[in-house]
Amino acid sequence: MSASDAIAREAGAVTDKSDKPVLRLDGICLKFGDKRVLNGIDLSVVEGEVVVLIGASGSGKTSLLRCINLLNVPTSGSIVIDDETLFDRQADGKGAQIPAQEVNRIRSKTGMVFQQFNLFPHMTALENVMEGPVIVKKEPKEQARQKALQLLDLMGLAQHVEKYPRQLSGGQQQRVAIARAMAMQPKVMLFDEPTSALDPELVGEVMKAMVELARSGMTMVIVTHELGFAFEVADRVVFLDQGLVAEQGPPAEVLLHPEHPRLKSFVGRFHESADLLRPFLEAREAEKAC
Amino acid sequence: MFDYTVITNNIGLLWQGLLMTLYFTVITIGAGMLIGLFIGLIQLSTFKPLVILGQVYVEFFRNIPLLVTLLWVYYAFPIFAGINVTKFWAGFIGLSCYVGSFYAEILRAGVQSVDPGQTDAATAIGMSYGQRMRRIILPQAFRKMIPPLAGQSIIQMKNTTLLSMITVPDLLYQASYISSFTYRPMEVYTAVGVIFLIILVPLTLLSRKLEKSGSLK
Repeated sequence: MSASDAIAREAGAVTDKSDKPVLRLDGICLKFGDKRVLNGIDLSVVEGEVVVLIGASGSGKTSLLRCINLLNVPTSGSIVIDDETLFDRQADGKGAQIPAQEVNRIRSKTGMVFQQFNLFPHMTALENVMEGPVIVKKEPKEQARQKALQLLDLMGLAQHVEKYPRQLSGGQQQRVAIARAMAMQPKVMLFDEPTSALDPELVGEVMKAMVELARSGMTMVIVTHELGFAFEVADRVVFLDQGLVAEQGPPAEVLLHPEHPRLKSFVGRFHESADLLRPFLEAREAEKAC
Repeated sequence: MFDYTVITNNIGLLWQGLLMTLYFTVITIGAGMLIGLFIGLIQLSTFKPLVILGQVYVEFFRNIPLLVTLLWVYYAFPIFAGINVTKFWAGFIGLSCYVGSFYAEILRAGVQSVDPGQTDAATAIGMSYGQRMRRIILPQAFRKMIPPLAGQSIIQMKNTTLLSMITVPDLLYQASYISSFTYRPMEVYTAVGVIFLIILVPLTLLSRKLEKSGSLK
């Protein structure tokens, strides 16, 4: 049994992609004071789909991600997760009032991984992962413990379960954070620039864990600057600009043949930095050949 | 010169006074913590009127001299509100409300110093406000709050000496009583000072130790 199969079993995810939307956003608008951050975003994500959000800083991609589980409360729009309405407010202020208890329950169908990991520093890795199932889902401790150990093992952290976050490297912390989110058996995983705060040599291990997760059939929405990752793993790339979806499609289309002028320059910068490296890479190749 | 017999002859009175001082220190710190927790959480809520209410409370008790508060509760309450309070209750209420306002501020600052990412993470796994506070935010905040809480509690023990002004027989009241018939205030008040030192210095050292072990975790 491969690791990704095991993760799939853990998460109860379906390996075949279907057309059933797990997540549906309609007309999401978000204002911070007078500043309009999101200007009516529609986004639907089907089961097993991996969607990567890209865009310049300030384009609203992190804000959008945080709207999905209501860490940011939209000014208007509606959010449906797994056929349950998490949020509904029309522009005229009308809409369904969802009680806080329901919000917490539906929200826990999403798992979130943060740029700064945000592990609970007063708990061990194991306790971090057990916290949600034990406190929120009221699972028996022993059962939650077994499940948490399994998840940490899958993340390659079997030796670190009793360590506190401060004793772990950034990459290890982020993998604990992924396990913590997975422990709630979410329908969709949200990643907010999960590798941006990592030292370059630690990016790979977190990426690897995410690739495994994607292969296991997990539904994922990812904000990242790692376009290479997007190219490899994403089913769909969504380019945000000024709080709107400016362009979206399969990664090969969006990243290699961009149409929107801003996307062109955004992707262009990525190609440029790759071009800058090319002479060095070639030099190294040449050295090896000698 | 320095007449030790003044102290040794009246050690019983001083002992009674010390017990009274310790008693008031402990019960007003306990009640003050409850008040502080309540007012602190009120200040941290998102409901504006509650926040303002909390601020009014804190500024009121923090900025009025404790002596005025005590005298006011003891003498003015019966006159204006028609409620008779014994000096014990007056002292208890005045001191608890006073220290509660400081504890509330310590709690508020402690909670606000916890990284907002912690709230995000706790919210994201579906925790309610109560669960977040109890499991994630307060345990982290308390660790940072240990030094200021200890400091304020030490000040509180010294503040109980003001009880003598409303004739509660605490250590200072006994001291002034003893000096009234021995005419040796220097010896008596020096003894009071030494007693406070003996009690508070070890507590200060303990709080330093707690602070260190807290920051390690």
